[in-house]
Amino acid sequence: MDTRLFAADLLDMLPELTLFIAIIIISLLDLFWPKNASKKGIGVLTLIALIVSAGFLIYQRIHLDGVISLLNDSYLVYHYGILFKLIVLLGVSLIVMMSFGAIRDKDIPHIGEYYVLLMPAALGAMIMASSADIITLFIGLELLSISSYILVALRKHHTKSNEAAFKYIVLGSIASAFILYGMSFLYGMGGSTNLFQIGATLQSLESSFHPMIYVSFFLLLVGFGFKLAAAPFHTWAPEVYSAAPTPVVSFLAVISKAAMLIFMFMFLPVYFVPLDPVQNLTIYSDVVLTLHVVAAISMIVGNIVALMQKNVKRLLAFSSIANAGYFLVVLSTDRPGELVYYLVAYLLMTIGIFAVVTALENSAEHQDISIFSGLYFTAPVTAVMTVILLLSLAGIPLTMGFLGKFFILLGVIQVKTYWLAAIMIVSSVISFYYYFRIIRLMFMRSHSEHTTIKVPVTTMIVIAICVVATIFFAFFPQYMLSFIEWT
Amino acid sequence: MEQYFNQYIIVAIFIIIGIALPFGALTAGKLLRPKAPTKEKQTTYESGNEPVGLSQVQFNVRYYMFALLFVIFDVETVFLYPWAVAYQELGLFALIEMLIFVSLLVVGLIYAWKKKVFEWDSI
Repeated sequence: MDTRLFAADLLDMLPELTLFIAIIIISLLDLFWPKNASKKGIGVLTLIALIVSAGFLIYQRIHLDGVISLLNDSYLVYHYGILFKLIVLLGVSLIVMMSFGAIRDKDIPHIGEYYVLLMPAALGAMIMASSADIITLFIGLELLSISSYILVALRKHHTKSNEAAFKYIVLGSIASAFILYGMSFLYGMGGSTNLFQIGATLQSLESSFHPMIYVSFFLLLVGFGFKLAAAPFHTWAPEVYSAAPTPVVSFLAVISKAAMLIFMFMFLPVYFVPLDPVQNLTIYSDVVLTLHVVAAISMIVGNIVALMQKNVKRLLAFSSIANAGYFLVVLSTDRPGELVYYLVAYLLMTIGIFAVVTALENSAEHQDISIFSGLYFTAPVTAVMTVILLLSLAGIPLTMGFLGKFFILLGVIQVKTYWLAAIMIVSSVISFYYYFRIIRLMFMRSHSEHTTIKVPVTTMIVIAICVVATIFFAFFPQYMLSFIEWT
Repeated sequence: MEQYFNQYIIVAIFIIIGIALPFGALTAGKLLRPKAPTKEKQTTYESGNEPVGLSQVQFNVRYYMFALLFVIFDVETVFLYPWAVAYQELGLFALIEMLIFVSLLVVGLIYAWKKKVFEWDSI
């Protein structure tokens, strides 16, 4: 097999190459940008680059025929990979639009760098979605991680933010080291860096090697759980979320999670290793059990600790920890269609609610949950849209969040894991309390902290897109599901 | 499987020797050498110069920037050498790849330049 890259192959990597060239050009443009001109121009260029890349992806999707494999099977262009890349680009585009009204000079001294750095982060996630080789996967992961470390640290003159960024870098590097160590065990067992070849070799290994396969999985799980902010590894999340710039927080909550899900989606098939042919036992069933336990802990911890949060961004951090639990559940049931549906639902409601938070915290200059009080009386439209987003997060019917959770629940019940379904339902009910506390603040408190709230137009557009899509795809899920399944 | 673990015995032996060697050498030296300390002998050795100040001084953070840039271009040279040696076999394709690689580093250089990393008084 020829391992070299030909010019024709570059066409298959066009979405990634577009972003790559845009990163270089826009970062150079940022350097020679006129001093007194607004840096929003950089943001507009970034948005254009993201949309062009998404356009190439859609073109690729329409003309996709089977699986295209490049660079000796290490880079795959395939159905779900393209879907994940589209989700990443949609999320980053919404975050860039949200940033126009949210990022201020006094917060972030280097606005140009902020917009430019969102692109390598998205590129890293896209590389992860395409790679079937542990080295390519790790490069994508590091591109994403290092860009997000810098993004978290961009509030240079804010001491708490610096502290949180430092913790994030140190803990994140340790998590990467765990992932690398887990990968090294897989390489040692499988004798190849290609995930398919590793999977094939592991199946034929004699049983004395099985403990090492478990070790590799647990090491990977630590790193994966950290980046996903799943429960025993979640402790960085509340602090980083409350100290980082809010659009960056929505990036961490959505894009990082999506990238880690595709990461595990690629790794889990490796563990289909038969243990006992008579009882039809495989290592995979233990892997699934571990994922279920982590998911249960995430849902319980996330939803219960969120009850006592006063800072709105910490509250959303614990809500995203609970959502990591739901994602782990759907990942373990091996239903990529449902995973993509809930990922889109989660993307829309999380980015929407963070867009609301940016407008409110910029107006009130603090992050206490009281920024929501009396919102209905000062900005009724925003308040109503916030209610819809919160209902979706809580999982009330007629929203995408409900349908997504419902699909996940059906999947769990089909594999007869009733205890997990019970935990999922109970913890969702607990979550109603803290989501409804925000709604109560908006409607029941007549006095507002701010007399007028100016929600910037671009932020309003982001919120509106999220709300409309949340409702539309709840009434007509068949459009999205048929697009997901369409081959 | 046993064979797999047996390979780690070499690693273990390596670690044990690595720890034992400096301890052994220093202990042997201590037992063998005569001990007659004077004030001059106990000062820090600084290539024959008179030692000045303490060893735990704060370095200027600007050196860090230079060190970073140096490492980047150092690594670039490391990549250029094997490419130059195998240039005949690799041909035009590798030349273009190398040009892309070097031009990416040039972008980094322009970035550092515009951000005034090379000026001593920039921070």
